[in-house]
Amino acid sequence: MKHLLLSLLFVNLFTSTLLAVDASLKIEKDVEQRARIAVVDGSSNEDSRVFSIFLSDLKISGHFLPDTTHHVGDVKSNFIVPALKSQEYIIKYTMSQQGRTSLFVRLIKASDGVELFKKSYAIPSSQKMPFLVHKAVSDINKVLGYPDISWINRYVVYAVYTTPGRSEIRLADYTFNYKKTIIKGGLNLFPKWADAKQRSVYYTSFRGVVPTLYKLNIYNGTKQKIISSEGMMVCSDVSKDGSKLLLTMAPEGQADIFELNLASRAKKRVTNFKGIDVNGRYVEDESRIVFVSNRLGYANVFKKSINSAATSQVVYHGRNNNACDAYGDKIVYTSRESSNAFGGNTFNLYLASSTSSDTRPLTTTGANQFPRFSADGSVILYLKQRAGSTSIGYTNLTSYQSLLFPFTDRKVQAIDW
Amino acid sequence: MRQQLLLATAMTLLLLNGCSQKTPNMGNVSDSSQISGDTVSIDESGYGNESGNYNSSSDGFKSVYFKFDDYEISSEMQENMNTNISVAMSASAKVKIEGNCDEFGTDEYNYALGLKRAKAVKDSLSAQGVDSSKMVLVSLGESSPVCGDPAESCYERNRRVDIRLVK
Repeated sequence: MKHLLLSLLFVNLFTSTLLAVDASLKIEKDVEQRARIAVVDGSSNEDSRVFSIFLSDLKISGHFLPDTTHHVGDVKSNFIVPALKSQEYIIKYTMSQQGRTSLFVRLIKASDGVELFKKSYAIPSSQKMPFLVHKAVSDINKVLGYPDISWINRYVVYAVYTTPGRSEIRLADYTFNYKKTIIKGGLNLFPKWADAKQRSVYYTSFRGVVPTLYKLNIYNGTKQKIISSEGMMVCSDVSKDGSKLLLTMAPEGQADIFELNLASRAKKRVTNFKGIDVNGRYVEDESRIVFVSNRLGYANVFKKSINSAATSQVVYHGRNNNACDAYGDKIVYTSRESSNAFGGNTFNLYLASSTSSDTRPLTTTGANQFPRFSADGSVILYLKQRAGSTSIGYTNLTSYQSLLFPFTDRKVQAIDW
Repeated sequence: MRQQLLLATAMTLLLLNGCSQKTPNMGNVSDSSQISGDTVSIDESGYGNESGNYNSSSDGFKSVYFKFDDYEISSEMQENMNTNISVAMSASAKVKIEGNCDEFGTDEYNYALGLKRAKAVKDSLSAQGVDSSKMVLVSLGESSPVCGDPAESCYERNRRVDIRLVK
């Protein structure tokens, strides 16, 4: 028996040590796995903005270690200058923004100058230039066989308050170099993508006596009234196939979560609590949701099946976890960690799971809010406020890469990605 | 001797008066008592006892203010509620009750908090005999602040319920 216990202790110690070593090795291995890459600008008018978007895309992918020097050179030549021989790949590009905006890219192997990929991209609007770069980098990533990063091609839709009682809903690329107002005038809030292809958005209009949910096709302007409710009306989540919505409504003056079947118009009450139940998000196979509730006396994240009443607590950390997002079984939530009501306004983000008790911090400083998973769940977008400045942040959950972009709009109300 | 003294005093006073007429003292702070005493500071941020001072409601209603992260009507707001009961009882149109919050919430939770405040006011009016079907609730969250300064005195003006008639 004594031998058995000693053996178990030894195995336990060995396993713990091995796992601890594995964790540190994993990070080093990740760094080694990233391909060294340089970007060479062959444009007649060099634009540092284009170059910096290339760098951002390559960095946030988690698959490249880009050289941060803005190299200039002939795009057609296969000659690799000695200084770039230490790289694994070279991207050569020309960007022309006269008339229509066009981008030509070549991917070259640095060791022997062999061309691996070339493509031309064009778009009528010069404002949409960032999307050309995003498309080129996601194509290059695909050619090299890395995991998909097509989320960098997606629009971000967000609402900002402009003046008291007024707001605008805007579109942006993920770097916020491209921005366009799509809904202005009045108070229109809580934009949410209606479909995976990002052709339509749901949003709440406060134009009438009660808040009303509309669906807007962002390409042809067609607007459709979906549903209205006294008190509150928010589209919190859309099922993957776009057929069902999770709504926060308050038909009797109490905020609860409902599921609306768009085809049958059937409305199902998912929560029924006299306090606050909001922020419903589909999890796992979409038969369950996570949501924010104050049923324990403070805002926290809970989980329940859509078809049963049993509710379970998901987060056992923090005393004010008032917003969350979900992808599969992954949950990201905001936790307010200020010592007093109006103190440092510290909000940090944590990654949790609907199927286990694992929780890990994603941020440690500033006010980090509005966390949103990318369409593939690999990256989290958030708004960071620190030392008087606001940024849009991204954290790649696989590569641990983080990026911040300056954010100059007024106060954000909601973001979807 | 006495006459000479009186004459000298009269001349001195005349001289002094003549000098003072040349001094442009109109509107000047020449009286030291005006600058030696400290000025007062009054605090108008309290909405309790001074409950009519702030009002972003209309049609005769009075706004109801709340504490941080709270949706209970305090006893300090009872006077405002009494006014609201009386106006609502005689209202010919629907009464819109708008819940508002300070800027410290995020996303939907803040709107739900605004709704709880609006519901508390509706329930209170209903308990006093105002017809429930005559009232409609809406939460405006943090979207409609009446004060934008980064100070608690400002935030507490934004944690409120406004009441108006639907027109």
